[in-house]
Amino acid sequence: MSTDWKTEVDKCSKCGKCHTVCPVFLETGDESMVSRGRISLAEALRDKQIVYTDKLRDYVYSCKKCMRCRTVCPSGVDYEVIISALLSGVAENMGIPLLPRIIFRYILPRRILFDLMLKVSSKIQWLIPMKRRGQMRHLPLLFMGKRWIPTLAKKTALQKFRKTKKLKNPKMRVGLFTGCLINYIYVDIAEAVVDVLNRMNIEVVVPQGQLCCGTPSSTMGDFKSTKKLADVNKEVFESQKLDAIVTACATCTKAIKMDYLRTLGPSWQSMSDKIYDISEFIDKYCGDEYETKPIDEKVTYHDPCHLLWVRGISDEPRNVLKKSSDFVEMDQAGACCGGGGIFTIIHYDLTLKMLERKVASIERSGADTVATNCPGCVMQIADGFAGKNSKIKTTHSIQILQKALVDSGINKEK
Amino acid sequence: MKHFKKTKTESKKHQKVLNELIMVLGGEKVLSAIEDRICYSYDGTKQKALPDIVVRPGCTSDVSNTLKIANKYEIPIYARGAGTGLTGGAVPLMGGIVLDLKSMNRIIEICPEDFVATVEPGVVTKHFQDEIAKFDLFYPPDPSSAAFSTIGGNVAECAGGITGLKYGVTRDYILALEIVLSDGSVINTGRKTLRSVTGYDLTRLFIGSEGTLGVFTRITVKLIPKPKKIETLAAYFSDRDDAIDAADLIIDNNILPRTLEFMDQMTISAVRGYGEAPIGEDVKALLLIDIDGTEESISHELPVVENACKEKKAFKTKVAETPRERESIWAVRRSISPALYNIAPHKINEDICVPRSKIKEILQKVDQINEHQTIYIANFGHIGDGNIHVNIMYNDDPGQAALAESIVNKIMREVVAVGGTISGEHGIGNKKSQFMELEISPKELAIMKRFKGFFDPKGIMNPGKMFI
Repeated sequence: MSTDWKTEVDKCSKCGKCHTVCPVFLETGDESMVSRGRISLAEALRDKQIVYTDKLRDYVYSCKKCMRCRTVCPSGVDYEVIISALLSGVAENMGIPLLPRIIFRYILPRRILFDLMLKVSSKIQWLIPMKRRGQMRHLPLLFMGKRWIPTLAKKTALQKFRKTKKLKNPKMRVGLFTGCLINYIYVDIAEAVVDVLNRMNIEVVVPQGQLCCGTPSSTMGDFKSTKKLADVNKEVFESQKLDAIVTACATCTKAIKMDYLRTLGPSWQSMSDKIYDISEFIDKYCGDEYETKPIDEKVTYHDPCHLLWVRGISDEPRNVLKKSSDFVEMDQAGACCGGGGIFTIIHYDLTLKMLERKVASIERSGADTVATNCPGCVMQIADGFAGKNSKIKTTHSIQILQKALVDSGINKEK
Repeated sequence: MKHFKKTKTESKKHQKVLNELIMVLGGEKVLSAIEDRICYSYDGTKQKALPDIVVRPGCTSDVSNTLKIANKYEIPIYARGAGTGLTGGAVPLMGGIVLDLKSMNRIIEICPEDFVATVEPGVVTKHFQDEIAKFDLFYPPDPSSAAFSTIGGNVAECAGGITGLKYGVTRDYILALEIVLSDGSVINTGRKTLRSVTGYDLTRLFIGSEGTLGVFTRITVKLIPKPKKIETLAAYFSDRDDAIDAADLIIDNNILPRTLEFMDQMTISAVRGYGEAPIGEDVKALLLIDIDGTEESISHELPVVENACKEKKAFKTKVAETPRERESIWAVRRSISPALYNIAPHKINEDICVPRSKIKEILQKVDQINEHQTIYIANFGHIGDGNIHVNIMYNDDPGQAALAESIVNKIMREVVAVGGTISGEHGIGNKKSQFMELEISPKELAIMKRFKGFFDPKGIMNPGKMFI
């Protein structure tokens, strides 16, 4: 890990503005669970006043890495540099628990093993009583949570789209980075992406060699494993001739578009420039061209942290939804739904509090459906409604567009 | 970081205090791990000193019990809101107990019919303002940290803010306080009425006392009707004095703007990139003006304000057309304080206040004091009140810190000489205690110390602050 963080921490002026946006601090009011506090802990580590302890690890893991704080920081602290160093320090000094270690180092890099592991677990998941349709945000941490995941798909997205559907005269050729959740659980989101883009005369390739984006390992400070995954993904996507790469997962977009610039260095820049969130892509390249017949449902939009706060994307998904449905805005659309990796395991109670708030906002909006651009958020929010037996549906915004898209104009020749 | 070597008897005492606190308050509210202590060692000044124990009380009796124990063992105690103060008020300079009042954050009651509300000290000011806005009510004190500082901290420092000219400062809105004294006893000052002259005004004594006299556990504030409408105007000047003249002329026209903020050239250069529309290089001074009231009053006042600016040679004026534009203008203002670190890594942030007629004079004096320009000084602030933030920015080069200190010293003397005050709104803390006697005569200082001795005979309340 680079030593940039050692100087980065000095930039923090201790003004406390990160208090205003940190979803964890808003719940706890606990100074050790907000960037200013964690930065002070990093300072103390640098100055050798403290060492890595269980308590420190909990405070480091209490960060959701949503990067809201970086967005509002008036002193321009790159908090991500600091939290990554802390995570990596935790991993180096305290180790990573055996199971995730095995998964990160041996299973994630090997698609066959990953498929097999999930296949086995899908066979035995009936053993666990499914009282409530629970979930885990990142698959590799599957066995560590208090909740179970929704049913695994019989056929993964990668298997389903092994063959590229050739278009006659495609406007563009794009690659889909599926990400684990969509590949193994929400295959219907991948189907919607491919279907919508194909109907917009865009050819979609789903490169077969692609692996996990590496967020789960980064989250636990195992940046070596992330680097291995990134190397493979780089090779796989660079070997294809693509005009763009799209993802339907906010976290994967952040990982491969932003984080890889650090993991892989500046050589990734030209690829990074071509990576888009699916709504961002449609709004940019097809925004004026496609026609819709809005579905007869009130739909609201939840901003995933990694899209809104890391990339500043908020208008694009709304533009798509406004064309596809009776769109209503919810209050606090940018508030965190509480999902997210290791956080949901270590700070389960906080996860639930955040989810409760989110569910209440959605209910207040009067929407029939909540759409979002991240399968992790879909899983989390759907879980919130499942527990309440609510009629409100949770979906990806691309699936709303899929329903509303009318075949005419650009997609006529199909 | 400041560490205190403990003798054997001291650490024994410390262990006893910890055990007693845990016994009375329960383990969850008492933190003593090094990780927790580090997180409560600083405030907005970047100063650090490690507390021995952090207590997170949930109610008045928790505070009272903590103070009883601190008093019994004569352990220093520091009340802390959000730790955003700018003079070191919450920094535990001498070790001891930090009382994190952020955990007491309930709004106890809002009485729309009486125009009063009662809150616990840990309520974030902006959150409270949003809650009462639902009743069309308004609590004006609005320090630029309002979105993250607490009302308790605001009262302890008597925070001002940008609405001071028209609406006054925190002091003007506090009706009654529940206070825990250093021996753990609880007193109530003031009444929940809009007027009360019964007895001495103890409430006022405690406002701005910076945690040196007692700990607030309940605060009753006065509310006013929320103005129906706000319009925002930015005026750009190519000369600093023109901007100051324009501010004068606006007030001479019998208009008290809701806010009247000034930024000088150095300040503008620090925040240049922050807004949506970058500020041009030719702008040497800036006025940000809010006018509030009704549709009719604003339609009358806004042209008067705009004309006043133009008459005093503003080369451009811009009225915010949308809420977003308005927010963008004010976001720049709120960014100033931390953005100044773009100029240099260290800052001494002064908040002098002079009679309005002396603003030009004091700014010229500041220029003269820093005529060799090896240190950068950025001036901005609440010009309508004469409250100017003089920010001395310096780097790590040898001698710079001492030079900055000497510049501050000279500025303070000039401020007092023109009839001003060394602190308009940040408080004294430990940062400015050395300048107290410039402004306060020995006799008055002695009276203050007698008050301090009366309320805190053992000297455990926020030691090292206010007085040297």
